[in-house]
Amino acid sequence: MNIFQVAYKNLLRRKTRTLFTIAGIMLSTWVLVTLLGFNKGYEQSLNENIEGMGFQIVLTAKGCPYEAATLMLKGGTGLRYMPEALVRDVAGRAEVASATDMLMHAEFDPNKGESGGTIVYLGIDPQTYPEMKPYLQFNQGEWFGADSAAEIVLGYEAAELEQREAGDVMLLPGSDQEFKVTGVLKRTGTQDDGMIFLPLKSAQQIFRKEGLLTMLGLRLKQDADQNIFEEDLYTLPDVQVVSMAQVKNTILSLVASAKIIVLSIAFIAFLIAMFGVLNTVLMSVFERFQEIGILKSIGALPRDVFQMILIETTLLCALGSLAGIIFAYLFSGFSEMVVRYLLPFAPNGSLIIIGWPTIIFAFVSITLVGVIGGVYPSLRAASIRPLDSIRSAE
Amino acid sequence: MAFIEAKNLTKIYTRGTEKIQALHKANFTVERGAIIAVTGASGSGKTTLVNVLGCLDNPTSGSLVIDGQTVFEDKVHLSESALTIVRRKIFGYVFQKFFLLPTLTVKENILLPAVFQPGLRANSARLTEVLQMLGLDKRANHLPGQLSGGEMQRTAIARALINNPSVLIADEPTGNLDSKRSEEIKNLLLELNQKQNLTIILVTHNPDLAKIGNQTLELKDGIIQ
Amino acid sequence: MRKIFGFLILFLLIGFGLAAVGCDLNDPDRDILRIGTYYTSLSPRITYKTEYLSLTKLGGEKTLRAVEERLGDKFSGLYETIDVPYTLYTLYQGEKIIGYVHGINQKGKYGGLQVFLAYDTRGVIKHFYYQKLTSRKAAELRSAEFAGQFAGLSLQDFLSYAVQTGSGGSAGVQAIQNPSPEDAADFLATLRAVKKNLILMDIFVFNKEGKELP
Repeated sequence: MNIFQVAYKNLLRRKTRTLFTIAGIMLSTWVLVTLLGFNKGYEQSLNENIEGMGFQIVLTAKGCPYEAATLMLKGGTGLRYMPEALVRDVAGRAEVASATDMLMHAEFDPNKGESGGTIVYLGIDPQTYPEMKPYLQFNQGEWFGADSAAEIVLGYEAAELEQREAGDVMLLPGSDQEFKVTGVLKRTGTQDDGMIFLPLKSAQQIFRKEGLLTMLGLRLKQDADQNIFEEDLYTLPDVQVVSMAQVKNTILSLVASAKIIVLSIAFIAFLIAMFGVLNTVLMSVFERFQEIGILKSIGALPRDVFQMILIETTLLCALGSLAGIIFAYLFSGFSEMVVRYLLPFAPNGSLIIIGWPTIIFAFVSITLVGVIGGVYPSLRAASIRPLDSIRSAE
Repeated sequence: MAFIEAKNLTKIYTRGTEKIQALHKANFTVERGAIIAVTGASGSGKTTLVNVLGCLDNPTSGSLVIDGQTVFEDKVHLSESALTIVRRKIFGYVFQKFFLLPTLTVKENILLPAVFQPGLRANSARLTEVLQMLGLDKRANHLPGQLSGGEMQRTAIARALINNPSVLIADEPTGNLDSKRSEEIKNLLLELNQKQNLTIILVTHNPDLAKIGNQTLELKDGIIQ
Repeated sequence: MRKIFGFLILFLLIGFGLAAVGCDLNDPDRDILRIGTYYTSLSPRITYKTEYLSLTKLGGEKTLRAVEERLGDKFSGLYETIDVPYTLYTLYQGEKIIGYVHGINQKGKYGGLQVFLAYDTRGVIKHFYYQKLTSRKAAELRSAEFAGQFAGLSLQDFLSYAVQTGSGGSAGVQAIQNPSPEDAADFLATLRAVKKNLILMDIFVFNKEGKELP
């Protein structure tokens, strides 16, 4: 038998209390791991999402909304156009790995809903657009064949609303021409779900915007300096440069304040763990006042008693934090659902990523914090004089 | 030279502003292998005397020499750790309450002193010997809650003996037992004294138990009569 | 513990249950106010309660087969499935139920049709309208004349109507004029939607016990 076993058996003495203490530490660890996992997961997913947009830089005409949602709110107004020639020049620069031309168009459809509604169309280049957005997958069918074909591809929700499947025909408002649906995209959770895509040339022709574009999506070469390139673009007249890196930084700076709150909560979780442990261990030391005195009378040095109580504390904390980590891991899906429900903007992908560094950090820090909470009771125990304790029994 | 030699041992407690003289200039010697019965009314200073004698407490003044080693000299107070070292070497303690750890078995309770004393004399042979000596061999794997009062006190005695102490200090060892079990413990102490030449310092109210002492220290108001 | 599990499962179901889309009123408060004028000419103080129903919940496959048999056509395509949620609006005047509003999605030639019917408490159509429509003849189909032809009809009138050929039905059904005879697809789709709407309402409200119809 050794001091470790004695400590372990001491914990078994008050099973309910031990269990509740472990549960407390477990909850703190659970919160901590989940929050740290969220901290990591959110940023990573946001990065992936922005990467997934396909473009690093989007050029639009000055003052032009490039988000479909904004366009709909504005009832389809506010679009401005860039001449194709200008854009050709940018797309041809050495730093550009690939570029894709787009024409966005919003049309009022009087037959959508009781009082009509706005439908947003995106004319795209079937040669370049799909490869910039590799995450777009088809539920049915495929991209249109030619640049000027009378064909369309529907985002999942647009197709559902229009009850369209590949092979069906569709009318576009203000046009008599029938368009054939060549494909229906899978749900992406982005604005693409509600979009109606058509070949760029067809779009320019139907919406009478020949030679005009609303957007140019750019992807730069690996070795190109994005900052210098962007600076250069700013000199172009009447062109707005939307850098996804900027968008990301804006979102991240918004999230930074949320992060501070998150970390404060994590800190509170630490404190709760520490005071919970302190309270429990102190109580158990007071309860065993006489017993500790006897241990000293039979040869335990103050440091032996200190060690024994600290081992008890460490065991409690280690078991609790281990359980908390397991819980956090098992319920990360559930936590993610709650976070998604609560957050106004949550990127796609895993919001809570629990990696080894998080696990090790949580385990070590919670255990350490708990052990710190156990130091005072251990010192109290170590300073018990056998005589006092024995006398108190008589 | 006597095994234990106490000179002018005095102990004064302070309770609030009041000073209580629990022991006043006690002078006595104890020979190796003796049984000393310490008697007296409640509050007469019996427990104080054995606590000082058993190095559980420092005296206020006086000196104490055990086995040729000076443990206390006037006003020199030993630290808690130093007292522990002396206790480990010389004493085994038995109290009126048994103070067994409820989650440890009889065997584990007996071996408890070994946990805190690395390189201890206790080994499995010694454990078997002690278990047999105290008639606990069949109870070795039971928990304290499954024992009778007598068995619990025997376990406590076994725990005190596991390290082969020179002196057993027993403070009211039969205080919690009925007359039959008290008799058992009395015989056991006599046997230990005779067979192992164990020096026993026995604090008791029980006149029958006190009779086994070959020397009696009767205390009244902290003074040996 | 069991409760917690139930809660979790509920959450998972909600998470995965968003596959099919139903047919809701775009702006229920405003729409119901307008529809209310077909019930009472006095300034109507109509309130409504919204309920979500689906064939999955009401007997599943068996109910689906029954609907298909009465409709005389199979449910088909990506969007006409057993798990489509249907939204039923029950209209109240005070404590009293005065009618129901229910719409369904129907595949049209050029796009989705959302065909809404307002019923009285016996299951007779009070008002017909398209919430959404994509058609070359949208204006004609949306006309008050066209819509007016449905008022007063009920499931009884449509029971013998064959949705694929557009033949049969009571005199009232046969009298419904197609405003664009040169293109019958959206007209036929509309009548199919009306019949399907009537059958579903029969299951949801008017003949819940599933009694054989006379």
